[in-house]
Amino acid sequence: MGSEDGSCGKGEKIQRGFQINWMILRDADSGNIIWQENKDFSSPDVEHEAKVPVKILDLRAVSREINFSTIEAMENFRLDQKVLFKGRIMEEWFFEMGWVSPNTTNTWQSTIEAAPESQMMPAKILNGNVTIETSFYDGETLITKSVVRLYYI
Amino acid sequence: MGLLSLLRKIRPNPEKEARILLLGLDNAGKTTLLKQLASEEVTQVTPTAGFNIKSVAAEGVKLNVWDIGGQSKIRPYWKNYFDNTDVLIYVIDCTDHTRLSETGNELMEILEDERLKGVPLLVFANKQDVASAMSASQVAENIGLINLEGRTWQIQACTAINGTGVKEGMDWVCQNIKRD
Repeated sequence: MGSEDGSCGKGEKIQRGFQINWMILRDADSGNIIWQENKDFSSPDVEHEAKVPVKILDLRAVSREINFSTIEAMENFRLDQKVLFKGRIMEEWFFEMGWVSPNTTNTWQSTIEAAPESQMMPAKILNGNVTIETSFYDGETLITKSVVRLYYI
Repeated sequence: MGLLSLLRKIRPNPEKEARILLLGLDNAGKTTLLKQLASEEVTQVTPTAGFNIKSVAAEGVKLNVWDIGGQSKIRPYWKNYFDNTDVLIYVIDCTDHTRLSETGNELMEILEDERLKGVPLLVFANKQDVASAMSASQVAENIGLINLEGRTWQIQACTAINGTGVKEGMDWVCQNIKRD
């Protein structure tokens, strides 16, 4: 039991020292920022709203950039990012970073070229029904999850 | 040029993601180069106290570009990211005469690692817009690149901040990326 207690403690320590600093959505072709949020993301499971111009739907690819800091080192840091429409997965991205140094601030940006079928969905159907969920793990331990719901204006 | 078009030119094996590792001393211009590759504004670049990763995917194939901070306290961690590298890009600040031997030594040490054996090397001789910058050939000679054996390498003069020379370097990467 001693070793289990030890690993629990480590997970909590990582969680306490982990913070999401900002998120950015960009037009992947021009690099221009479409939406940026610098709010304190540190409270987990709070859903954030992104009001984005409707023309985002015409873009060939939108990149999603997330910046985070960790006080603790991590052995096997990985991310799982899902784009959901009414809870159904439209896109999913697993990324494994591996080792992360202590006291670092890092960014991960993902760009997926939009699938033709998702491009065909009209704004009024997508509006408020699309979420970007990014989960952060060290090995099997969930550190935190960020959820951003998209509104097209 | 954009990372998506770069991915298209590289066309990695669908089962295997392509991986480009970007290293160099602090202030060499790695993050600026990465932003330039992604067509992003490069006016606000702060020292990287960790890593910046850009992942792109199209038609089921993926490319990950890893930019790892170059401060001396982070450098010992570089070796954690050597596995499965397809191309190593090393960025040198050609205006930093004082640290030329330091950056050369770091590079030679990296190249000795077994995991980077046979991995093609592109050196960007950066900051060529500054009058006092050493030329690419001066750098190649000074750090001993010209004596490298058993490795495909290239040195490319560039100015990451305005993109000069970046495309030429990335064209070389596309042509020489390791495939196995």
